Amino acid sequence: MEGLAPLDALTVLAVAAKAAGYAAALLAAGGAIFLALFREADALVLRLARRVAVAAALAGLAVLALRFGIRAARISGLGLDGATDPVMLGFVWQSPLGAAAVWRASGEIAILAVLLPGLVGRIVPLLGALAVAVSYAQVGHTLGEPRWALATLLVLHLLAASYWVGALAPLRRAALAPGGAALLHRFGILAAGLVALLVVAGTGLAWLLSGSPLALVGTAYGWGLLAKVAVVAGLLGLAALNKLRLVPALQQGRPSAARALRRSIAWEGAAVTLILVATAAITTATVPPANL
Amino acid sequence: MIRLAALLALALAGGAHAHSKSVTTPADGAIVAEAPEIALDFDMPMRVIAFTLLRGGEGEEGVEVETESESGMASVTRYLAVPAEALEPGPYRVEWRGMSADGHPMQGGFAFAVDPEAEPEADD
Ligand SMILES: [Cu+2]
Repeated sequence: MEGLAPLDALTVLAVAAKAAGYAAALLAAGGAIFLALFREADALVLRLARRVAVAAALAGLAVLALRFGIRAARISGLGLDGATDPVMLGFVWQSPLGAAAVWRASGEIAILAVLLPGLVGRIVPLLGALAVAVSYAQVGHTLGEPRWALATLLVLHLLAASYWVGALAPLRRAALAPGGAALLHRFGILAAGLVALLVVAGTGLAWLLSGSPLALVGTAYGWGLLAKVAVVAGLLGLAALNKLRLVPALQQGRPSAARALRRSIAWEGAAVTLILVATAAITTATVPPANL
Repeated sequence: MIRLAALLALALAGGAHAHSKSVTTPADGAIVAEAPEIALDFDMPMRVIAFTLLRGGEGEEGVEVETESESGMASVTRYLAVPAEALEPGPYRVEWRGMSADGHPMQGGFAFAVDPEAEPEADD
């Protein structure tokens, strides 16, 4: 079929941009959450968390603009020329992506307030994190029924995921910082509960969106989801290893513990990247040959 | 990396979709005596951005046939395209592209043939 080649390149670009958008959103929201929850952390750790949150929020805003262009290009069928077509951009703006963009941009701008001192610098970024999570409930198939259940599950899933993702870089630094072991220990206690929430909400979403467990093995959507779940299982294994073995070893002051822990956290980051790309691919599999 | 590519290919191959139901007139593969209008019926509003009617069989380049649509690029559940002139006998292909109500890019296509000898279409 004509026009398929440029479309394919655009679809891959759309997946990459979406994954980058996820990473930016989770890092920005997660940074805000980390800063609010772990104020006692070493100054260097907090500074890193703040920097990551700000950089991610700015990157998120840029990716958002880029995704508008990519979406306009994809619906226009004109290739990249469609990315700046005002009519196509208008259609994208009127679509749910427009409403989501308002929430997400507001949230990411609010997260920049981590740079402000005092109470404002703590409360505003948290509201921003919530707005970013809510923005994702404005688009995609979670707009379907049951609307409230899907939206609530998605927001919880995202907040729990951002707690984890946003903490990776600061915790990796913390492994070398004074008082780091205590911080890592506290993170792990909270994480146990939040990861359970993450998994429960994720399973609920998958169930509601795919209709039946059978659909998981019968469709590309399902296979993509199962691949994601496999990586998630590996990630959970790593997290358990950290919590049960490496963090206690660090607390006991074992010489090699910090290095092992830092390496393990880096692997967690790699697994998260893979999961985000998988999620973006699954949810962008929406150039369905509409079975006409 | 290979795993990633495989995953991508897999996901892009098509998926479970909440809004992919659509019915066409004529139906895909139908042989009709005449086709005064071509319709796409969607169960959710669709913004049809490009609609192309081609005369020619599968694999052929095809010659574009002019059509008119009143709804233009509006968001509709029924998209009607009227050929500028009565369709001559032969194979036809329709390709369309648009955006669903949830903002997702959508595309589709189908084929039919015009044959004056064909039995009148039965209502279903
Ligand atoms: Cu959709």
